[in-house]
Amino acid sequence: MIKLINSDARWIRWLTFAASILLGAAIWEFAGRNANPVFMAPLIGDADTPGAARSLIGFIGDGQFRDAFLSSIKLFATGFLLALVIAVPLGIVLARLVLLRVALESYILMLYVTPMVALIPFVLSILGFGFWPKVLVVVLFAFFPILYNTLEGARSVKHELLEVAGSFRASEWSIWRDILIPYTLPFALTGIRQATGRALVGMIAAEFFLSTSGLGEVIMIASRTPDMANMLAAILLIAGLGVILMRGAQALEQKYSAWRGVDG
Amino acid sequence: MSTQANAAADRAVMSRLWNAIPWSDVRVKLIAGLIILVAWQVGVAAFAPRFVAKPLGIAAAFPAVITDADFLAAVVSTLGAVLKGLLIAVVGGVIVGISMGRVKFFDRMLNFYVNGLYAMPMVAVLPLLAIWFGYESDARLATIVFAAFFSIAMNARDGARSVPPEYLEVCKAYRAKRRYIWFDITLYSSLPYLVAGLRLASGRALVGAVIAEFFVSLEGVGMYILAHARSFQHNEAVIGVLALAAFGLFVEGAMNWVMRRFLPWARRG
Repeated sequence: MIKLINSDARWIRWLTFAASILLGAAIWEFAGRNANPVFMAPLIGDADTPGAARSLIGFIGDGQFRDAFLSSIKLFATGFLLALVIAVPLGIVLARLVLLRVALESYILMLYVTPMVALIPFVLSILGFGFWPKVLVVVLFAFFPILYNTLEGARSVKHELLEVAGSFRASEWSIWRDILIPYTLPFALTGIRQATGRALVGMIAAEFFLSTSGLGEVIMIASRTPDMANMLAAILLIAGLGVILMRGAQALEQKYSAWRGVDG
Repeated sequence: MSTQANAAADRAVMSRLWNAIPWSDVRVKLIAGLIILVAWQVGVAAFAPRFVAKPLGIAAAFPAVITDADFLAAVVSTLGAVLKGLLIAVVGGVIVGISMGRVKFFDRMLNFYVNGLYAMPMVAVLPLLAIWFGYESDARLATIVFAAFFSIAMNARDGARSVPPEYLEVCKAYRAKRRYIWFDITLYSSLPYLVAGLRLASGRALVGAVIAEFFVSLEGVGMYILAHARSFQHNEAVIGVLALAAFGLFVEGAMNWVMRRFLPWARRG
């Protein structure tokens, strides 16, 4: 019996996966129906206690929710792309200018390990409310993982390659195209994967603690009522967003991971 | 004449001190740090409002803050919660992760949830945890555990899956007791992964602790920063951030040391 359950047959794998989803849903449903509705809402529910699934379907037709969703996406995308556009070129420049890299890397490590949430109060009291302070929060969350990992790649660039390129009088452009970018790209992608997760945290944190907006506001409103069905539905949606973004970044990272030198 | 001689003597002492710094790398770093601090001081003094933190202001506030009982209590409260949460997350995460790595049934049952909750930004569940655990320190502990648990479980799973199959075959051939297989082989060879997971988890746990303090207004370093930033005492608030950064650097250093000292057989990467 145990052998059968642990076997690699395709139907067993699918069956266990389906069982795991069903079991999870059943536990949620059971807890939601029996707990105090202030604490928990069921997944599907009935007429008296509407569930998260119905809220989720309700969101689709709700124009206000659509606006909130789009504003969150806009915040995430703006902040993330800004961080990307600044951090990756900076990382590669540091690969080229060894002195600058040595000078700055300790400080970059320090900022990389600093929890950026701690800077939110400063952003709030210096820049106030509005869209761009929130973008700054997302940038702060996403910037240092990308820069730190790109720098790691920069350190892995073989000095011999640059020397050979120099002695053959390679142009600066071809040094970048053929040595620096291929060497640092896989590392930068690791940073980008880390940054997607962190930027998502930054997005929600900015929406909670600066001017409330977007999906963060949806959760906040639901937590005040408290409307657990809406809240769980919004959390479910954010989790889905997280998984999709993470998977995308992972796929991209894996695609270029072969470029990482075996001995690098 | 004598002042000139004095200046020359001073310069000689300075250059000897300077030459005593062993590596040129360190010199470069120190100069860069100095340039950053000067640029910060001058830039903020020139362009920013007066309450924005400046290096000299931070240095002036430093002795008072570091001996302030409130600040110390805040640090103890936050770090204590982080360590407690990490402990819970490590124990739970290792058990769940290693079972997932070794038993395919558990893996298939739990992987969907562990992966999904790992990818979810933990801030999103903060209001939920605050409702469940009350607006008090339990909510912070729950946030820390939630933030740390899944990265440890995922890494423990990867570690348990990476056990070289030859080891397990040898165990089987010699009919090793089950507890040897679990503890001496599986757990031991997944240690490097656990260290990597713990490094990731402690960063996330710190973020979780600070966010939870913001959200439920709990005494701690996060609240210390928030309260002082709100009342425009930015110099004091920055010292709170420095305390968090110091903890982050300490963890980073400790993990590197553990890897070098105890797990030198683990290949890097």
